Amino acid sequence: MDHVSVEIPKGKIFGLLGPNGAGKTTLIRIINRITIPNGGEVMFDGRPITQRDVEKIGYLPEERGLYRKMEVGEQAMYLAQLKGMSHRDAQKALKEWFVRFGIQDWWKKKVEELSKGMAQKVQFITTVVHNPSLMILDEPFSGFDPVNAEIIRKEILRLKDEGATIILSTHNMESVEELCDNIALINKSKLVISGGVDEIRHRYGNNNIELIYTGDNSLEPVQGLYSVLSDVDNSGRHTAVLNLQEGASNNDVLSSIISNGACVNSFKELIPRMNDIFIKLVTEE
Amino acid sequence: MNFRTISTVISREYLTKVKKKSFLITTFVVPVLFAAFIVVLELIMLKNTNEEMKRIAVVDQSGICMPYLDSVDTKDFVDYSSANPDSLKLGLDKAGLDGMVLISPLDPSTKSTSVQIYSKTPLGIDFSSLVANKVEDAVEAYRIESYNIDNLAAIMDEISFKAPVKEYTLDDEGNESISESGIYMGISLIMGIIIFMFITMFGSSVMSSVIEEKSSRVVEVLISSAKATELMYGKIIGVALVAFTQFLLWIVLTGVIVGVFSTVSGTQMFSKQDNAAQIMDMTGGAAVDGVNMPDMAQIAAGAEDDGMNVIFSTLANIPWATLIISFFIFFILGYLLYASLYAAIGASVENVGDSQQLQMPITIPLMIAYMVVFVAFRNPDGPVVFWTSMIPFTSPIVMLARIPYGVPFWQLAVSVALLVLTFIFIAWVSAKIYKAGILIFGKKATFADLWKWLKQN
Repeated sequence: MDHVSVEIPKGKIFGLLGPNGAGKTTLIRIINRITIPNGGEVMFDGRPITQRDVEKIGYLPEERGLYRKMEVGEQAMYLAQLKGMSHRDAQKALKEWFVRFGIQDWWKKKVEELSKGMAQKVQFITTVVHNPSLMILDEPFSGFDPVNAEIIRKEILRLKDEGATIILSTHNMESVEELCDNIALINKSKLVISGGVDEIRHRYGNNNIELIYTGDNSLEPVQGLYSVLSDVDNSGRHTAVLNLQEGASNNDVLSSIISNGACVNSFKELIPRMNDIFIKLVTEE
Repeated sequence: MNFRTISTVISREYLTKVKKKSFLITTFVVPVLFAAFIVVLELIMLKNTNEEMKRIAVVDQSGICMPYLDSVDTKDFVDYSSANPDSLKLGLDKAGLDGMVLISPLDPSTKSTSVQIYSKTPLGIDFSSLVANKVEDAVEAYRIESYNIDNLAAIMDEISFKAPVKEYTLDDEGNESISESGIYMGISLIMGIIIFMFITMFGSSVMSSVIEEKSSRVVEVLISSAKATELMYGKIIGVALVAFTQFLLWIVLTGVIVGVFSTVSGTQMFSKQDNAAQIMDMTGGAAVDGVNMPDMAQIAAGAEDDGMNVIFSTLANIPWATLIISFFIFFILGYLLYASLYAAIGASVENVGDSQQLQMPITIPLMIAYMVVFVAFRNPDGPVVFWTSMIPFTSPIVMLARIPYGVPFWQLAVSVALLVLTFIFIAWVSAKIYKAGILIFGKKATFADLWKWLKQN
C-alpha cells in the first residue's frame, strides 16, 4: 500500500474496488489487524483501532473456509464466541439467524455434507451473528445462485438500515451501483479515486443526454448549446444523443429544442456505468 | 493475550480432538495391547515353569559325554549309546522320545568330536547351546585328563571359581542399599520412550491441526477474531490436555483390564516365589548370594529369596517423587518446545506431505535423544549422556531416562532452566513464523522463507 487514505462513513455501504492484485485484501487485512502495516494507522470511531475493536468487526474473506469435519452449529458457536459473545447470546442469535434463513435442520450436519452455496450461507451468518458495527464483505455474492444472492443482498441492506457500516469489496459493478454509497478505487497499491458513487458517476459523465422526441424534422445542432451525436428516426419518433457544450444548462437546451417545434417525450442525463469508469481508470494508468 | 479467547480456542481444540474416532480407538486399543502384552508375559512365565518334560535320547559314540549330560529342568537325557542311531532316528515316536543327540566317536589324533541333533519339532537354540556346553566340558575334561596329572579332581575344585556379585547404591549419607541395574535400565527406557512418543505424537498432532485450519482457509476468519499467538498457544495447550487425558485413560484402562484378567483367570501377577527368580532373570542376571554356600541348591534358594528383596530394594531406591515431578516438568516443557516448532512448520505448509523437509531439524534431535537412551545408557554417567541431558532439545528425553539412576539437584535445575529459556526463545521465533506463514497460500515454504519471515518486523 502506498499512501492510501480512505474515509469510510458510518452507517453507509462503502465499495472497495480495484483490479486483481491491486491491494484490496491487504487493505482489508490491515483494517482487520491481521497484517500490521509498516506505517500509517487505522482509526475506528475516531480513535486508533485496538484489538478489542476487532470484536466489532465481521469479516467475510474472499477465500471462504470452515472446518470441514465440524458440525455446523458447533462451528458457528465457536466463531461467535471467538468474537466475544457469551455462550447464551451466541446460541440465541444463531438460532434466530438459522430460522431467518430457514436452515434450522443444518445445525447438526457436518460442513462437508453441505454444498458450496449452503456453506457460504453458514459463513455469512457467522460473519454477522455478533452484530458487528463494521462488516467487511469480500465478494459476498460469489457462489450464490440468483435467489440466494438476492437474500444476501436484502440482508446487507437490512443490516445497513440497522446502522452497520459495511465495506464491500467486489468486482460486480452492478451491485456497486445498486448498494454502495461511497467507493474507493485502488490500483497498483495506490488510491485512484474515492467519493460518493453518484458524484463520481457524474464526474465521469460526458454531459451526454438521451432525448426522445416526436417531430417531423430531425434536430439540428445549436452552436454554444449542444451537438447531436446520433439521431435515430423511427417513423417520427426520434431517439437522439446530444452532447452538451461547456456552460450550457439543461434548461437552455430543453427550451431551445421545444422552440424548434419538437415534442419532448423524455430527457435523460446519460451517466456512465461504474463498469465503464472502472475500465477507463484502470486501463488509463 | 486474552484469556477468554485462549480458553475458547483450547476448548474447541480439546473437544474436537477428544470426540474424534481416532482418539477413541487409540485410547481403547493401546491399553488392550498393553494389557495383552502383560498378560502374555505372565502366561509365558507360568508356562515356562510347567513346561512338559522332553525325553531326549543320547547316542554317545565318544564314550565320554554321557556322564556330563545331566538331566535339566525340562530335558531328560536318556542313554541310548548302544542303539543304532539310524533306526532310532526313525523310531523316535515309538520309543516315546522327543529327540536324539548323536555324538560322533572321538577322533584319537585331534581328541575332538561332533554333535548332531535330531527331532520332530525344533528343540530351540537354548537346547543346542546347552548340549554344546556339556560336550565341550566333557572334551575339555578328557583332554586335561590325558595329561595324567595327579589329584586332578582336587586341583580342579580348587581352581574353579564363581564370583558372587552384589550391587549397592550409596546415597549422600553413605547409606547403602542393594540394587539391580536391570530394573534401573527398564524404568529409564520406559520413561525415555514414553516422553519421546508423546512429544512426537502430540507435536505432530498440533502440526496437522494447524495445517487443517490453513488448508481449509478457516484461518483467515480465525485470525480476524483472535491474535496469532492466542490461536497457536490455545491449540498447543488444547492438545496437551488431550495428551494428559489419553495418558490417564491408558493407565486406568490398562490397570482395569489386567485386574479383570487376573481375577478371572485366577492368576496373580508376580506373586509366587518361583516367578520372582524369573523376573530377576529377565531384568538382567541374578544376584547370587552366599559366598560360603558351595551347595548349588542352597545358592538357588538364596537367590530366590534375595531376588524379591533386590527388586523391592531397587524399586524403593528409585527417587519416585523426583521422577514423577520431573516427568511432568520435562514432559510439559519438552512438549511446549517441540509443539511450538511443529505449529510453526504447520503454518508454513498447506499439506502434511510438504512438511517433511521442514520437519527434519526437529526429528533429528529427537532421534539423537532416543538413541542416547538406548545406546549410551550402558554408561549412565558418561559425557554423551550428561551433555544430551543438558542440551534443551534432547534433555526432556535423556534427563528423564537419567533420573532413575539418580541425578544431582543442580544438574536438574540447570537442565530445566536451560529448557525454559530455550522455550521462551523458540516460542517467540515460532509465533513469528506462524503469524507470517499462516496467511501465505499456494506456496511451499523453504528455510529461506522462514528466515525472511523471522526477520520481518
